[in-house]
Amino acid sequence: MYNFLQRLSGVTSFAMSTLMALVVVISLTTPFIPSSPTFDVSLHNVQTTTGRAMDPFDRTSRKAEYARLTFDLDADLSTMFNWNTKLLFAYMTVDYTTPGFETNRVVIWDRIIRNKRQAKLKLRKHHNKYALRNHPLTFEDVEGANLTLHINPVPYLGVMYDKPMVSLPFTIPRPTKPAANKA
Amino acid sequence: MDFVTNAKKFGVRSLLLQGLTFLSVLTSAFMIWKGLSLFTNSESPVVVVLSGSMEPAYYRGDILFLNNGYSPIEVGEVVVYKLKDKPIPIVHRVLKVHTQRETGEQFLLTKGDNNNADDRGLYNPGQLWIQRDEIIGRVKGFVPYAGMGTIWMNDYPQLKLGLLGTLCVLSLFSND
Repeated sequence: MYNFLQRLSGVTSFAMSTLMALVVVISLTTPFIPSSPTFDVSLHNVQTTTGRAMDPFDRTSRKAEYARLTFDLDADLSTMFNWNTKLLFAYMTVDYTTPGFETNRVVIWDRIIRNKRQAKLKLRKHHNKYALRNHPLTFEDVEGANLTLHINPVPYLGVMYDKPMVSLPFTIPRPTKPAANKA
Repeated sequence: MDFVTNAKKFGVRSLLLQGLTFLSVLTSAFMIWKGLSLFTNSESPVVVVLSGSMEPAYYRGDILFLNNGYSPIEVGEVVVYKLKDKPIPIVHRVLKVHTQRETGEQFLLTKGDNNNADDRGLYNPGQLWIQRDEIIGRVKGFVPYAGMGTIWMNDYPQLKLGLLGTLCVLSLFSND
């Protein structure tokens, strides 16, 4: 009645449809698993300097202003690990508005957290990992800025979503001119 | 000649019907793909990761589901972009966003999680930022290793021929 190939095809097609249904259920339910992370960001100071040649591809980098932040970060994200969490991508952004640009958002620090042991963050007087500069050369028109911690959980399987955690307002000062001070 | 005896046995009509069924399967698959493309505003809504630059988040052979949409790109999103003169799409995370107030034009800089430097070395010579229209989609969901078949077929073209051959031979011997 049924030969081997027909049986095989029946079994595999049933297995595939069950697997697909499971994938859909898992990816839809994962974002609703509750978690209670704790976090605290504090900023020590912000310094702005001119002309640190950072970028080999960008010719304007010698003339641009760079801001250097010194911050503390305390966070315990271990409760965000559930059975469908491959890793947490933690990153901090600085965002501000200027008359010419509606939104400016720059990642200044990130870390890939792969297990619960790495999820307890304790950074003391840490500096930004990536250079913070404005799209024009200067921070002159920047009124106020915000430092925000975001967590992006990457699942083993399913949908990606982003969690903004804590936001801290600060101002970016005008550059100190070491050359002028010496003279 | 199997084909001729079959035609004599079942008549031309059943053969035509078979051809029609085959064509309708092909066209509906094409329609689903194009419909998805229209719905997500993305030229290819499903892509396979080809490089290891986003490890450990995405490995080679993972399938990504994309949605482009019409809204501006946010920082921290994983996007797939295709540069104007380079045919290969790249999956990386957005590091910097500057949106111009009058035109709404976006200046974006990306970086792979596994790379040490940002992507300015990958862009076209002299290009410092990528634009909104170079982005094919943002990653909304993914299934690990499901696209490994595509990678194998790309790496070993004989596999593709072998698979096609087996399918042809099997279709000759099936009796439905």
